Amino acid sequence: MAAIKHSDAILLAALALPGVALAENPPEQASLSVSYLDYRDWQQNLDRIGVRSPSVELVLPLAGKWAVRGALVSDTISGASTRYHTAVSGASHFKEKRNAGDLSITRYFARASLTVDAGRSGENDYVSRFASVRGTVSSADNNTTWLAGIGVANDTINPVNLIVENERKHSTELMAGVTQVLTQRDLAQAVLTHVRGRGYFSMPYKYVDQRPREHDQDTILLRWNHAFGQHGVASRASYRYYRDSYGVRAHTWQEEVVTPLSNGWTLTPLARVYSQSAADFYFDPVYDRRLGPPFPPGFSFSDQRPRTADPRLAAFGALSLGLKVEKEIGRNASIDLRYERYRQRGAWRLFGTGSPGLLDFEARSIVLGLTVRW
Amino acid sequence: MRLGLLLAAGLLAGCAPLKPVQPWEKGELARPQMTFDTDRLGSAYAEHTYSSKEGAAGGAGVGGGGCGCN
Repeated sequence: MAAIKHSDAILLAALALPGVALAENPPEQASLSVSYLDYRDWQQNLDRIGVRSPSVELVLPLAGKWAVRGALVSDTISGASTRYHTAVSGASHFKEKRNAGDLSITRYFARASLTVDAGRSGENDYVSRFASVRGTVSSADNNTTWLAGIGVANDTINPVNLIVENERKHSTELMAGVTQVLTQRDLAQAVLTHVRGRGYFSMPYKYVDQRPREHDQDTILLRWNHAFGQHGVASRASYRYYRDSYGVRAHTWQEEVVTPLSNGWTLTPLARVYSQSAADFYFDPVYDRRLGPPFPPGFSFSDQRPRTADPRLAAFGALSLGLKVEKEIGRNASIDLRYERYRQRGAWRLFGTGSPGLLDFEARSIVLGLTVRW
Repeated sequence: MRLGLLLAAGLLAGCAPLKPVQPWEKGELARPQMTFDTDRLGSAYAEHTYSSKEGAAGGAGVGGGGCGCN
């Protein structure tokens, strides 16, 4: 039989699938993916946090209408965290482990799907249990797919310094979205999410960190994938707007260009730009004259108003650049390596002024992955 | 923000601004790189590392629990 060109094979596959070009089709093959993350970050040449994290994911199609997916991840985190602003004390050094896993089952219908997922994440001082239900429905021509979902998470916090005991955090997530085929080469997606959080949101190991017990978050995510033509080159662009009840407003733009080469190689350069405003209760590194650091001016121990010196709630911008290299090995396996460099600066905040006194923050991550299909 | 809301509202309403694409015209769209949720493990790593050092998080869907890192 004459060999079928790769592009023809893709078109034939497209014609054969009822939900063509939309993600919610049953997987045709089982797959096992194994990944390993090596991450570290630093400030002014002082190493801060290092993470080593293997993970595994198994996807099994069942009877053409079902799929079961399970994933496990184990993080080993070590280093020194800041107590306030960028201050690191001898007591800040730590080493801890987090193990997490989730199991989901999906039922596929002619033009719809329903997924139920549940999981657990555990550390010695923090346990989270979560579950979600997600569904999709496609139009008769499969050019539009509507998405909806609800999720809950119940967290228990028992810090080793006993500053609180058996504190709880409960989150409810709602999501609605749509994926739309725009042209023969363009797919777009819009997703709205709302998270309602109640409970303990303070950081127990940071000084002078008192956060509201209500934390509501809203996001709009817009994604646009564009195929450039015969060679399989594709642009994957996204924009996310985020706002929360703390007063943080954030913009995230991301772009990656998937570039298939010969002999099964694919290169994917990526860039990400991020900018956020400060939380209403973040205070700059200016301290009370009498008490000194870490107390803000006018601080009183009986004052329970929200306040934080956590630089993650300051105003700043960030830029990351990365490259992913993939290699197909035969028909049913692939390996990939992703390198990313991340930089955060107060002066890089967009649409406003960054918080003063922030040290430049840098990170790099390397992810090695292997996927086998059968 | 307003532009984003308008775009999102338009897409949520399922308003396809251009002529419907036929099944035999979807060869390019069927490529794996055109799906939105490829490389779930890699995406999970990226989301976890970003959210541990930034104020914003989430947006792509529901599910997943909290951790002590943020």
